[in-house]
Amino acid sequence: MESMNHGIGVDIAFLLLATLAVVTAWRVFRTDSMVRASFFLLVSFIAVGVIMILLAAEYLGVAMFFMMAVEMTVMALFMVMFMMNPAGLNPMNMVHQERISIGAGVVSFLVLSAMALLAVFPDRPVSAGLDPVRSLGNEMLGDSMLIFESAGLVLLTTMIGVVVLSSHRGRYGAATEGSLPPGLESGGDPAGKPEEDEDGEDGGHHHHHH
Amino acid sequence: MAVNWLRNLASRRSVPVFPVLGVQGDKALRHLTLSPDIELVDSPRHASVLLVAGEIPADRFEPLRRVHDQLPSPFTTLWFRCEPWPHLESVIRVDDLDVLPAALVTAYRELMKGRRESSPRILPDKPPNPWEGEGDFGQGGEGMMGGVPYGRPMAMNMEDDIRDGLTLDSLTFRLGPFFFAFPPGMAAEITLQGDLVQTWKTQLVAYPQSLDPVFFTARERPVPIAELELARARHHLHRLYRGLHLAGLESASLSALRLAQNLSTTSTLDGLHRYLSRSGFFRLAAIKGGVLGPEQARRIGGPAARAAGLDEDLRSDDAGYRRLGFSPVSQAGGDTGARWRQVLAEIDQSLQLARQAERDDMTTSEVDRIETPRGPWLEKRPEDASALLDEILPGQEWGDALATIASLDVAAVAEASLDTQTASEPRITNTLDSEGGRT
Amino acid sequence: MIVEELVLPVLMVFFMLAAGAYTVAVLDRVIAGALGTPQAGSVWIVPLARGAWLMTQHANATEAPDWRAWRLAPALYLSLAAIGLAVVPWSGSLVATDLATSVVLWGSVEALATVVIFLHGWSANALFALIGGYRYVALGLSYILISMFVLIGVALPAESLQFTQVVASQGELWNLIRQPLGLPLFLIVGLGMTFWGPLNLADSADLAGGTAAEISGPPRLVWDVARAAMLVAFSGVATSAFLGGWLGPWLPGPLWVVIKMLAVLLVLLLLGRLLPRLAPERCVTLMWVVLLPLSFIDLVWAGVGALL
Repeated sequence: MESMNHGIGVDIAFLLLATLAVVTAWRVFRTDSMVRASFFLLVSFIAVGVIMILLAAEYLGVAMFFMMAVEMTVMALFMVMFMMNPAGLNPMNMVHQERISIGAGVVSFLVLSAMALLAVFPDRPVSAGLDPVRSLGNEMLGDSMLIFESAGLVLLTTMIGVVVLSSHRGRYGAATEGSLPPGLESGGDPAGKPEEDEDGEDGGHHHHHH
Repeated sequence: MAVNWLRNLASRRSVPVFPVLGVQGDKALRHLTLSPDIELVDSPRHASVLLVAGEIPADRFEPLRRVHDQLPSPFTTLWFRCEPWPHLESVIRVDDLDVLPAALVTAYRELMKGRRESSPRILPDKPPNPWEGEGDFGQGGEGMMGGVPYGRPMAMNMEDDIRDGLTLDSLTFRLGPFFFAFPPGMAAEITLQGDLVQTWKTQLVAYPQSLDPVFFTARERPVPIAELELARARHHLHRLYRGLHLAGLESASLSALRLAQNLSTTSTLDGLHRYLSRSGFFRLAAIKGGVLGPEQARRIGGPAARAAGLDEDLRSDDAGYRRLGFSPVSQAGGDTGARWRQVLAEIDQSLQLARQAERDDMTTSEVDRIETPRGPWLEKRPEDASALLDEILPGQEWGDALATIASLDVAAVAEASLDTQTASEPRITNTLDSEGGRT
Repeated sequence: MIVEELVLPVLMVFFMLAAGAYTVAVLDRVIAGALGTPQAGSVWIVPLARGAWLMTQHANATEAPDWRAWRLAPALYLSLAAIGLAVVPWSGSLVATDLATSVVLWGSVEALATVVIFLHGWSANALFALIGGYRYVALGLSYILISMFVLIGVALPAESLQFTQVVASQGELWNLIRQPLGLPLFLIVGLGMTFWGPLNLADSADLAGGTAAEISGPPRLVWDVARAAMLVAFSGVATSAFLGGWLGPWLPGPLWVVIKMLAVLLVLLLLGRLLPRLAPERCVTLMWVVLLPLSFIDLVWAGVGALL
C-alpha cells in the first residue's frame, strides 16, 4: 500500500462512503420501520468499516462488518418478535425527545469535525511492508495473548449460561413450579402463597377479535 | 423476438403444476408424482398450471378463487373430474387419468408458445382493507396505538408463552383447504408465537377418504386375506409417501410410491426400511412430539392407537387370521416416530400375511368386524378425528406439528363409491420380483 | 491499471459464478435422476429452460411488502457470493482480491448472509416467508461460531489470515489430514450457510418454500442463482482451507482448484439429497451441544499442531 501519496480514487471513495454513512444514519431516525432502521444502521457501520480499510486498518474494518451484521440481525429479529410496529405500517410516532437529541447530535458533529479538521496530526509514516494483522495483534494483546483468548472463551460460556439460566423451563421442570416453598401440610398449598386473582392476568391486555 | 425465443426455451421444461385436491383427488396426485413431464410444486406462486383434481365442495369455492389468483401470469387451469366454473372461458376438462399428464403438457406448451391465453383473474385487484389514518401522526383510531392498520389487529402478545417464558407477539391466521401438507380439504385457524403453535382450531374437516373396494366387499362376504392385506399395505405406503415427501426424503418417498404401485406378494420393504434407518430419519427428522394419550388413542383407533401402546386389532378376532398366526404389533411412546415405525411394521406384517395367505389360500371369516387401515369398523365406519389435532398440536413447533399431521390419519372413511369412473388406479398385480427400496 | 486491478477480477468472478451456478444445477439434476426422481429432457438444457421460464413469469406482489428490501435481497445475496468467491485463490498469483484478512472477510460474508436471508423472508410480509427468516437466524447464530473456530484452526499453521498463505502452508500436508475434524465440521457449516438439504430450514418444504414461497419470476431466478453461487463460493473456500487449493502434480493450479471444488460440490449435493431435513430444535441442540465443543477440540488440536 502506498504510504503517503494516495491516489484521487481513495479520496473519492472516502467522500462517497462518508456521505453514505451520514445519510443512512440520518435515515435510521427518519424511518418509521424499526427493522429498516436496524439495517440502515448496519449500512452506516459498513460504510465506516470500508473507510477503516481505506485507512489501512484492514482487520478492524473487516471485523466491523462481521460483528455489526450479527448484532443488527439480532436487533431486527427482536423488533419483529416484540415490537408493536416493526414494519412501520402503522405510522406511529416512533421518536421521543427529538429536539434535545438533534441538538446534541449537531453539537457533537461540529465538535468532532472541528477536531478532525483543525487538529495537527503527527507525521509518523509506517513502513510499506507492515503486516497490519500482526502489528495490531501485538499492539492490542502484547504479552497477554493467552489470557485474552481464554477470557473470550469464558465470556462465551458465561453468555450461554445466562441464557440457559434465564429460561423458564429448567432441567427439573418449569421455574415457577420449583421456586415455590412446600406446603405447611403435606400436599397443601405452598406456604405464604398470596391470594390469586380470578383470571390470573393483568387487565391491561386488549383482546382483539376478528 | 427475444421473448418468443425465451418462451420456446421455457416450454422445454417439465410442467410446474399446483394441485388443488378435491374429493378423491389424491389418485391424480399420485399418478402425476411418478410422471417425468410434471413437477408438482408446493406453492401456487411456483406454478404455471392450476390442476383442480376431484370435485370441490361449495364451501371451498372462496379459497379456490383466492388460490386461482395467486398463480403468477401466464397461467392456465385444468379441471380433472370436476365441473369447471361456468364463468371461466376455454377451460380444459379431463376425466381420464391416463390422459392427464399429456393434457397438462399440451396446455403448458400452448400457454408458453402463445397459442393459449393466460387465464384472467377472478377477484378484483384491490386491497381488501384500505387503510386511512386519523390520529395526530397519521395513525388511525384513538391514542398512540389505536387503529386497525390494513384490517389486522396490532401484533401483541395475547397468549402466555408455553415454551420458555419469552412471550412473543401472537399471529392468528387461517390456513386453507388446499395446503399441501394437510389432509386434502382440511382448513384450520392457527395462532403462532414465533414458530410455536399456541392454538389450533379445525375449521373445515378433511374430505372422507376412499378405501380400496375390497374392504367394503369384506363387509358383505369373506374375501381372500392376501388381497385384503395388499390393499392395507398399499394404503399405508401412500401415507408413507406423503410423510417422507414432507420430511425432505424425495427418493425414499418415490420408492414408497413405486412399491405401492407394483405391490405384490413378493414385494419387500427391507430396502426402504434400511435406507430410512441409515439416513437418520428416525433420529434427525421431526419425529418427536404429537404424543397421544391413551384416551385420545382409543378415539382415533387404528395404527395410531397401536403406536401408543394399545394392543387392539380387530383382525385377532378373525379365525382366518388366527390360523395364519396373526398377533397385533404395537409400539410404546405414541409420538410421531412411533407412528412411523408402526406403519412400517404393519406394512411388513401385511406383506408377510399376504404371502402366507396366498400360499394357503385363506379367506376372512368375520364380516361385521373389519380392521381398516384407518381404524376399526364395527357398526359405523371410522369417523373424522380432526378434533384430536386441536388437542395435541398446541405446544409444538411448526415443523413438528406438520409432521404430526402427516403421521396421523384423521380423515373419515367415505362410503363405497358407486361411480365406475373412480375405479382404483392402475397397478400391476403379477408376481414379478419387485423390490422397492434402496440398498 | 484500472483494467488489471478492477475489471479483470470482476469479470473472472462473475464468469466463475455463472459457470458454477449452471454446474450446480446440472449436477443436482444428475444426482436427483440417479436417486430415482422421474425426469425428462436433456440434463444440459433443462436448467436453461427453467431459467427462461422464470424470466417469462410475472414477478409476484404481496400486500404491503418492503419493496426495496424484497427486490434487493436476492441481488445482495448474489453479490455476497461474488465477494466470497473473490477471495478464493486460483493459483499462487491469480486471486481476485488478496486481502490480508481474507479469512475474516469470508466470516463477514457468512454473517451478512444472515442479514440478507432474514430480509428476504421478512420483507415479503407473508407468514411462511417470515418463519423461514426466523429459522435461518436461529441456525445462523449457531453455526457461525463453529465456522470461525474451524477457520482459525486453519489459519494457525499458516500464521496468516490470507487464503493464499493458508494454501501455501498446506504444501507438505493438506489440512484435511492435519486437522481431521475440520472439513466435516466445515461441510456442515456450508450446508447450513447455504440452507441446503438437511439444514434447509429457511426455504423448507414444510413452509411451502419458506422465504421463496411468495416469489416468482425474475426475482426468483436471481434468488436460485444466488443460492447456487453461494454453494460454489463456499466450495471454493473449503478447497482453499482444507484441500490444498491449487497444490497438486501435473495439472496447472487453476484446474486443480476446479476439480477439488467439483468434489466438494458433489459431496454437498449428495448430502442434500440423501439426508432428511433436521427439525429446527434438534438442529440447534446438535450445533450448540455437540458441534461447538468439537470445534473447540479442533481448535486446540490445531494449536498444538502449530506449536509442535
